[in-house]
Amino acid sequence: MPKKYHIDIKATPLNRDFVSKFKIARGENCINCGKCTKVCIYEAHKRGAKDPRKIDDPHMALCKNCFRCIQECPRGALVKSLDPDFLALGGSYWKPDMLLSIWKQAEDGKVPVSGAGYRGPFTGPGFDGMWTDMSEIVRPTRDGIHGREYISTAVDLGRKLNHLNFADTGSLASNIHQTVDLPIPIIFDIPACKLSNNIMTSFVISAVAAGTFAIMPANDISADIKQYINNIIPLVSPDKITAHQSLISGARLVAIEYATALLNDFGSVKDSIKKISQAVTIVRIPAMTGIEDAVTKLARSGAEVIHIVADYRGMEAPGLRQRFLKDVVRAVHLRLIEERIRDEITIIVSGGIAMAEHVPKAIICGADLIAVDIPLLVALGALLYEQPEMTITLPDWLEKLPAATVVQRIVNLMGAWHSQLLEVMGAMGIREVRRLRGETGRAIFFDEIDKDTFGKLFQQRETASI
Amino acid sequence: MKPETVVIKPMPSRFKHKVPKYKVTRSDACINCGMCAKSCPYGVHERIEGHNKMRPPIDYKCIGYECRKNDEFYCVYKCPRKALSLSLNPMYETLGDCRWTSDMIIATWIMAETGYPPERTDIGYQTGNSDGGFDKLRLKFPVNPLKVERDEISTELRLNRRNDGRSNVVISTPMYGGGMSFGSVSLSTMLSKARNATIWNTFTCTGEGGYPEMLYPYDDHVITQVATGLFGVREETIQRVRIVEFKYAQGAKPGLGGHLLGEKNTESVARMREAVKGTSLFSPFPFHSVYSIEDHKKHIDWIKQMNPKALVSVKVSTPNDVDMVAVGSYYAGAHIIHIDGGYGGTGAAPDIAKKNIAMPIEYAIPKVHNFLKEEGARDAVTLIASGGIRTAHDLVKAICLGADGAVVGTAEMVALECVRCGNCESGRGCARGIASTDSELADLFDDEWATQRIVNLYHAWNYQLVEILQKFGMKSVSELVGRTDLLEHVDYS
Repeated sequence: MPKKYHIDIKATPLNRDFVSKFKIARGENCINCGKCTKVCIYEAHKRGAKDPRKIDDPHMALCKNCFRCIQECPRGALVKSLDPDFLALGGSYWKPDMLLSIWKQAEDGKVPVSGAGYRGPFTGPGFDGMWTDMSEIVRPTRDGIHGREYISTAVDLGRKLNHLNFADTGSLASNIHQTVDLPIPIIFDIPACKLSNNIMTSFVISAVAAGTFAIMPANDISADIKQYINNIIPLVSPDKITAHQSLISGARLVAIEYATALLNDFGSVKDSIKKISQAVTIVRIPAMTGIEDAVTKLARSGAEVIHIVADYRGMEAPGLRQRFLKDVVRAVHLRLIEERIRDEITIIVSGGIAMAEHVPKAIICGADLIAVDIPLLVALGALLYEQPEMTITLPDWLEKLPAATVVQRIVNLMGAWHSQLLEVMGAMGIREVRRLRGETGRAIFFDEIDKDTFGKLFQQRETASI
Repeated sequence: MKPETVVIKPMPSRFKHKVPKYKVTRSDACINCGMCAKSCPYGVHERIEGHNKMRPPIDYKCIGYECRKNDEFYCVYKCPRKALSLSLNPMYETLGDCRWTSDMIIATWIMAETGYPPERTDIGYQTGNSDGGFDKLRLKFPVNPLKVERDEISTELRLNRRNDGRSNVVISTPMYGGGMSFGSVSLSTMLSKARNATIWNTFTCTGEGGYPEMLYPYDDHVITQVATGLFGVREETIQRVRIVEFKYAQGAKPGLGGHLLGEKNTESVARMREAVKGTSLFSPFPFHSVYSIEDHKKHIDWIKQMNPKALVSVKVSTPNDVDMVAVGSYYAGAHIIHIDGGYGGTGAAPDIAKKNIAMPIEYAIPKVHNFLKEEGARDAVTLIASGGIRTAHDLVKAICLGADGAVVGTAEMVALECVRCGNCESGRGCARGIASTDSELADLFDDEWATQRIVNLYHAWNYQLVEILQKFGMKSVSELVGRTDLLEHVDYS
């Protein structure tokens, strides 16, 4: 039996406050009776360590919003509110709750679980405008939680043949292209902010541990990082291929920065890489108006893997209309199908991948795999602000963390995401992530079902008001 | 109308303070004259006999801005030093979310306390802020409805429509309690749900975790669940009840099955589930003996053979093909099709499943209702909806979309003062003692208190249902089924 893919998660709490959602203020009328310390089952309220006559300020990272202390304080002296620091975090796309959830997954590597029903909006822009399907009755090959090990999340990167040719003798006449196999449809994108060499090293080691790759600008790959070249995708511009010859020769995948000239000259660029190594090339192209045409053209001229990069909120470059990643991928995927070349190339997408659910959703929309960036930093305590401009701040204690802790936290996040991918696939009865690609029939899109249900009952209204 | 067994009694909160919506601030300008204490009829202001100073205002008793109209006692105007001011309490924002708003939770607490919908007009509880589904649907009342008296209106729901000689089960209000297993909620919670079901002549469900002995007195109002792990399912439990439910999937975690951690599998839980204490128990997905609709029929036949009187309910989630599944279940012989929407579920479940897997119930109801109608089967089955039915208004909307009735889970828990913090499974379990078997936490309330709270909630919902039927000029809730013409949608006209 082949070795099963497994991510080794391990609880790695930093015992540090990331951000707290709530704030509890103790009023002057507190009489230090200690009722709060008795009713709080999470031990957020404690008597002072130095002076037990006084109650300490509440430890908000432990508060789970149960309202016991608020409702049982004999003096009504406790006042809870949403923490302004929490509310200032993130923005319209990166909700503060998402960042908190990423942090928790990095702490324990587990699938976030909660009770009392779903608490978010009904639908929303981007990936929130779709649901995934499930099957009530599935084939006998599924075996609940035990069968999860048999669900394959493996993908292969590279060019594939549309069909095979055979010689008259019956032997295979086609030349099979080189591909790179990945056990998980996630690779690490270029870090969203500048990292020290130490953290970069840990970053790559966690890619090794998860069995995946990290994309890195060739210039940032120091000598001690280079030893992990087997799991690094160096990013080079087309005119610097010879300059980075030694990196490319050891790499299994090489990413080329997009330039318009590449559209007419991809063949020669690919050849110059193939001269150096067997590495599979990735063309890294920004999501923009007309991306379908560019991707088609590249695919026709022999591109192996195309990486479509949206901005950090999943939007394509400003143009006539700015589409979200989900719609960009659907458009590209459908175009390639119309051109009958979809199966010949591999599509990676990135930008705005913030939650585990975005992985299967992007794949359902037509991507083969995704690249993740910001969540990997949030796992390490980075804070992200969308306003007034996008800023990522790394905690000052990050450099002091042991390398093993940094690695384990990123591995934990990937472990949690992998388990969640299995949950979604398991519910659908899909046993191979490769078969999920472009399976929009296994999704429910808000626009379609709302029109199909309420559009049939009522007439579309111009403005939303009664 | 309510059965005679229903008696409404006020059942106040078990906690000292309620969660305040407003904040009354007393500034330094206060001279402790006591005018506010004398004039406020709600008891916000207090000065203890013999004390010079006023006590801090008791915010939760304040009725807020609508008090402005009360010239004779509105404290902000009345205070001679203008020392009092009124604002929204920041605490209120920490309660609830866009599906269950703070107003909706407070209103449910009032209903559980008094048995009636809130009289206060500052609590907007009829819709949430989720910006979709029920929250975008409104009821369209006729200008001149037929005149109907309250006591002429029937809220009864007939559950057996097959004319197959099995029990003719009729419930008094078109809703019943969702399945919550022994172990997932405290014994008091489970018992109070069963006692309420008996008082209201409706049902509660055991969930998958066996049939505790203490439920025996309520047998006629208990649905026993047969789920994929078959935990605690015995011939004897099947024969006790009037309804047996097959659970294929549930809205909280469609397609995922369940998992009881080893440490929660205590001696009593293990005995109930006929398992070994301390081992992790998996409730797999799917039924491993059901790979086709024919297999499904075989199971239903098996139940019917074992209990010749029982009705069979089939609980499924809401995938794209939920309409086919429903029709298949009808042909397999089910009396009740229970569809549980993707946003539903009370028990702990992966966040990714709660948010993403399967469609919201608002789409599934018309889909199933219409498909059953096209198949000519609609009149022979009872269609029950669940998964996000938070208020009597949601219940009415679900019925207008095509359901016959609904199952409620979270609303019952909120009646027991659940704040929906969501930590049902962490550590010792529910901090409020509802979903915990921890010896200390599970004793936070007794089942008499809990039963009355749920009875009161059902009454408040039934009261509103009757009021709505009256406004539509209808004499029975069955007239409402599938009446989408009585709805309007914010996005459509």
